[in-house]
Amino acid sequence: MSKEISGKLNSEKENEKPIHETDEFLSSVTAEFDLSKLSKVSRRKFFALLSASTAFAATACSNYRDKGEIVPYNKRPEEILPGVADYYASTCSGCTNSCGILVKTREGRPIKIDGNPDHPINKGKICAKGQASILNLYDPERLKEPLINGKKVSWDKINDEIYNDLLSATKNSKKIGIVTHTITSPTTKKLLDDFKNKFPIVEIISYELVNDNPRRNAWFKCYGTYEYPAIKWEEAEVILALDSDFLGNENNFIENTIRFTSKRNVIEKLKYNRLYAAESRMTVTGMMADYRLKVSPHQQLEFVMALINEMIKESSSFFIDNQLKDKIKKYSFDRLNFINKEKLNYLIDDLKKHRGKSVVYAGNTLSEDVHIAVNLLNEILSNNSLYDYSNAYKVLVKNSDKDDILNFIDSLKKGEFEVVIHFDSNPAFHFPKDYDYSEALKNVKTVVTLTESKNETSQLSKYVLPINNQLESWGDAYVRYGVYSLMQPVIAPIFNTRQKEAILLTWINENKYDEKIYHNYLKKNFENEIYQKIKPSADFDSFWYSSLHDGVVQLNENYTLPKFNLNSLNEIKEPARTNGYTLHLTESYFIGDGRFANNGWLQELPHPVTKITWDNYASISQNTASKLNIEMNDLVDIELSNRKVTLPALIQPGMTDDTIHIELGYGRKVIGEAGKDAGFNAINLMTKENSLSPYIFTNASIKKAEGKYILASTQEHHSLGDKFVKDFHRIRKIIQEGTIIKYEKEPDFLHKEKHELFSITREHKFEGVKWAMAIDLNKCTACNACVASCNVENNVPVVGKDQVLLGREMQWIRIDRYYSGTDDEPIVSNQPMLCQHCDNAPCENVCPVNATNHSPDGLNQMVYNRCVGTRYCSNNCPYKVRRFNFYNFRDHFANSYYENDLTSLVYNPEVTVRSRGVMEKCTFCIQRIMEARSNAIKDGRELKGSDVVTACQQACPSNAIVFGDMNDPNSEISKLRKHNLAYHVLEELNVKPNVTYIAKLRNIHSEEIE
Amino acid sequence: MNTVDYSQELSVIEGKPSLRSLDELISKPLDTKPDKKFYIALSITLSMLALFVIGLGFTFFYGIGTWGNNNPVGWGFGIVNFVFWVGIGHAGTLISAILFLFRQKWRTGIARFAEGMTIFAVMTAAIFPLIHTGRPWLAGYLFPYPNQHSIWPNFTSPLLWDVFAVSTYFTVSLIFWYVGLIPDLATLRERTSNKIKKIIYSIFSLGWRFSNRHWQHYEMVYLILAGFATPLVLSVHTIVSFDFAVSIIPGWHTTIFPPYFVAGAVFSGFAMVQNVLIFIRKIFNYEHIITIDTLEKMNKIILVTGSLVGYAYGMEFFIAWYSGIQAEQFTFINRAFGPYAWAYWIMVTCNVVSPQLFWFKKIRRSVPVMFIIGVFVNIGMWFERFVIVVTSISRDFLPSSWGYFKPTIVDFMILIGSFGFFFTWILLFTKALPVVSIAEVKAVVDGSQPSHHND
Repeated sequence: MSKEISGKLNSEKENEKPIHETDEFLSSVTAEFDLSKLSKVSRRKFFALLSASTAFAATACSNYRDKGEIVPYNKRPEEILPGVADYYASTCSGCTNSCGILVKTREGRPIKIDGNPDHPINKGKICAKGQASILNLYDPERLKEPLINGKKVSWDKINDEIYNDLLSATKNSKKIGIVTHTITSPTTKKLLDDFKNKFPIVEIISYELVNDNPRRNAWFKCYGTYEYPAIKWEEAEVILALDSDFLGNENNFIENTIRFTSKRNVIEKLKYNRLYAAESRMTVTGMMADYRLKVSPHQQLEFVMALINEMIKESSSFFIDNQLKDKIKKYSFDRLNFINKEKLNYLIDDLKKHRGKSVVYAGNTLSEDVHIAVNLLNEILSNNSLYDYSNAYKVLVKNSDKDDILNFIDSLKKGEFEVVIHFDSNPAFHFPKDYDYSEALKNVKTVVTLTESKNETSQLSKYVLPINNQLESWGDAYVRYGVYSLMQPVIAPIFNTRQKEAILLTWINENKYDEKIYHNYLKKNFENEIYQKIKPSADFDSFWYSSLHDGVVQLNENYTLPKFNLNSLNEIKEPARTNGYTLHLTESYFIGDGRFANNGWLQELPHPVTKITWDNYASISQNTASKLNIEMNDLVDIELSNRKVTLPALIQPGMTDDTIHIELGYGRKVIGEAGKDAGFNAINLMTKENSLSPYIFTNASIKKAEGKYILASTQEHHSLGDKFVKDFHRIRKIIQEGTIIKYEKEPDFLHKEKHELFSITREHKFEGVKWAMAIDLNKCTACNACVASCNVENNVPVVGKDQVLLGREMQWIRIDRYYSGTDDEPIVSNQPMLCQHCDNAPCENVCPVNATNHSPDGLNQMVYNRCVGTRYCSNNCPYKVRRFNFYNFRDHFANSYYENDLTSLVYNPEVTVRSRGVMEKCTFCIQRIMEARSNAIKDGRELKGSDVVTACQQACPSNAIVFGDMNDPNSEISKLRKHNLAYHVLEELNVKPNVTYIAKLRNIHSEEIE
Repeated sequence: MNTVDYSQELSVIEGKPSLRSLDELISKPLDTKPDKKFYIALSITLSMLALFVIGLGFTFFYGIGTWGNNNPVGWGFGIVNFVFWVGIGHAGTLISAILFLFRQKWRTGIARFAEGMTIFAVMTAAIFPLIHTGRPWLAGYLFPYPNQHSIWPNFTSPLLWDVFAVSTYFTVSLIFWYVGLIPDLATLRERTSNKIKKIIYSIFSLGWRFSNRHWQHYEMVYLILAGFATPLVLSVHTIVSFDFAVSIIPGWHTTIFPPYFVAGAVFSGFAMVQNVLIFIRKIFNYEHIITIDTLEKMNKIILVTGSLVGYAYGMEFFIAWYSGIQAEQFTFINRAFGPYAWAYWIMVTCNVVSPQLFWFKKIRRSVPVMFIIGVFVNIGMWFERFVIVVTSISRDFLPSSWGYFKPTIVDFMILIGSFGFFFTWILLFTKALPVVSIAEVKAVVDGSQPSHHND
């Protein structure tokens, strides 16, 4: 205090001095510039801070959003080059055929599945299901986390609980059940064995909704083995398919199609088999048939036995004792009232003439008896020379028989099981209602379901474990003799899922899990089973990697030819005479046993025969419909004992009367947005009771129910009796066909009446490469693989049933189906139809904004950016192949179901995703042309037509599609264009289409088709 | 019995109204406040217009998918309405230009109104090419403008010709109409005491002083414009018909289309003019200006064009048969007996059968009957366009791609709405401008022209 005062006084004193004499100025100056008091911030620092804060303020004010992580590769993986696709060989697990696939990935994500060309069975081809199954990987409703009672939990927790339950079951000497589909993988088989070793009382049930059990059992009875051979279709002159859709969805129909169509060759040398189909429903095989005989499913046995009877009338090398002869003699064709006698005589004649060169083949849904009889017939005709044992169908674990399953369910009910594990299977949907499976499950303490997405069974399970998609999984398959194939992941699991095998393995390993657990297991098993067997010169690692690279390992295996056991015939029962309707159930073409029901691409593929999408239905003949006063889309009640299903009716030309055919797999109840309300569950008509076969029932009843249910078809339905629109495809020369006899007599019959087309304007000359396509209608089976492949390649949207009903489906390629003949005996013609890339394209001159125009290499191009959507081009297209985006279909379908971050990964980055209001159409896969062109430029060579393979061409199992440079005189396409059977659709319009069709020949006994 | 003196031209205006009374009568709707009836009518048309707006809202928000169009049938109600409204727009120019050149004095009473209708109908029509596109916000691509991409529109596309034809037609019709209005606007300017109106009329009458020189120039301009508009009457619908005729679709690819479309357009345009005028002359007491004789003459034109249209229908069938092309033949059989037979027979009944009643003088002069027939004709003509557009593409070359077009509620909203749009303009027109040309009517009143010897 005193100091302060004295100071003050001092200063007052000082004030009295003249200013220049005081040090006030100085002191104040020094005070102000006292370095220690000054801010420590230097000028440079200040500017740095100023600029930093300005920059900070500027960036803070800009509209910066975190657009996710974009991290460049610090070290680029050797195999990944942005913009360049990688291909990985793997194995398809869509059905039991286990075809080899080649998965195309871009920047680490799979975008397309095609067949693996190195695979000896499917030879680079894959069916529509396989093609479209890529969408399952990106299904927005895949399960993402393990669930206990519907609540998300960690893997550790769920594994702990289940493992404890497994241990307690073992301790309590209770059983553990595993329900799985057919086991196709030897490693899975080993895994299940290991599981059995770990937990002693394990019972394994393996099943398939529509299976080949009757065929296998019959084969066992005839030859003592369950392993039946493949068929050398390519060597057969005459084929008789008995309600068998071997080209449509039975066994390995891709293999069958490849082999069968190789003997439908008209291009170089006429090489043509003759196909008879004896069936009631219309199948893909039936559509291909040269002669289609109508036989009701319950009459097939009688039909085969009568044929045998006919054959044994002549001497044969095959010995049949008199007792058996007497039995056979009872059968005749008399009761087969639907059969056309003329066709039947041709068949008998052909079978007799082509001994050893014909095949009789029964369908999977027919009874064991029919299969036994067919085996005998083939023996009598010495057709066993066409059995291909080198690639026979293998049995790793035989599927459970009905009795096994029923016993299993009984024990469930008795409480003998404490744990049931559904190993990627859906028995709650697949088992007939009277199996009472859902009820039986209630007696099981621990119900576990391993599944990719929710289903009827997971609904009943306490523990639901999400599993990897096939493209995220390791695995192998060994379903055919000599062919072992590997499955490898092409993407890391997208969600918190685990491989189903790894889950079991974790439990075997006392809950120890690591990411490579199954990978190593598989490798180990491969080493023991395959590497040791082959003993190649390479070391294991090289062999392993080269096997993975190829996707398939071919083994030398011998199969001993079994001897036919005549006693098998003793068991054949004479078919019961029935009145009432026969019900026939078969598997759906595209959604399989229901597992693909949530795949929009597959639901929207038009049925190969009826062109119906999104639904199943009861097919009946026109006569039956008239008798019952039923029209298309009328709801009908189908009743069998006390089981009933109500579904819409469809009138199918060529059906046998009094027969009802329904496809299985539809009507899933617990399913995602895409599959819900699609079709009706006909499994409800199946039963544990004995019937003709599990899929054929006599004494069914059908009656008209209240109301209608409109089926969405991509083609109008007309009765064949309707004179107003009859045979237009022939009159208008859309379909041009001939017969073998006619063609042999006058090879140029197709072009005899042709007149010169001239143009009043100067034609544009195309020099250099000019793209063109040829489609051989002799080979096309209407399998739809091309459509599915095109959908995936070209980002074709799913539009939904409502839009298909309005006629707004978006597929760029379609298979047109035309009937001629009568409702009773229809003749079916199929024709893939896509943009014809006309030289004088009528779409081009009418577009007001030049959005569609012609490229120098002959493509009709569509410039999406320029398109304003007048739809004039589509109106003026005589082939109606243009597709308009009436909505933003990705947004419109099921509340933007497919518009999400996950599903958009499926898009091919080389193809624009079209917005609403834009016209689109087939581009001849211009992205592939551009890729081939840039490769050619890079390699410094001319672009060749054969460098480009379009998506449809690549997928076509019968190689019916040829693409290339028509200006190259040596190319296949330019030769095909000059072929005697080549024609253009609507040629007289002079639009000069660049898609050439090779007219179909029918191998019948007359010159004219009808 | 009355005898008619054919040596004398009959007066087109009944009675001998004084020139001043004509002024007053014609400008009366403009001088008086709208009455209740007007508001009721306006509220109806505005409600319809609201439907239009809502319908368009759905269309723009969701896409053309809200319409019934589908894959074979790319064009539905949108183009049907377009062609229908362009057709309606035909009577105006025909009456004002062609009949002017042919010195048909009876046109004076109806020309102004018909021209107004043309403008509004073309405005209505012009909406459709825009809204029927998938991406209307890019419609600018249809106009030839220099751009960085160096892309021009496709000059071989009839749709582009449409753009030019319709916009030219609209421009010329508008100018023609406006030039005709100038003397009347000057008359109104003189009459009105309202300042604002006076300013507006003054501006738009362009300093018209009724001077002899003004009249001379005016008559010359009017004649030139009439000469200019005349080919347009024929060209517009010819070019609209090219949208179809230039295509390769059976039922569209037809050489008879240009004359057939022009005849049809005149047919429907006259029916619409006749329909609306029946109300106008009643409400505004113009019965002596728009006389029964005038209406009868219009009915005669309806009869002639209706028969032309009927001939064209028959000729189409003949040529289809004569061509020997199955697809062509089927298209026409399909029209008459296929799934759209109902539309075809509505069309034939309304367009071919109903106007034949006009052979009877009584019917030609009976206002209620002619009104009903006029309505029928317009229904029929709408269906004609529907039959042409929809049935042809719903079943063309490949039976595999046949489809059936079913309109949606949005389609109907836009159809009804287009009438709302059109009639709203008509209503506003009746209260904003003289619906009858004052100057021209004055000129044709008996005794208005200098004559020799009082004959």
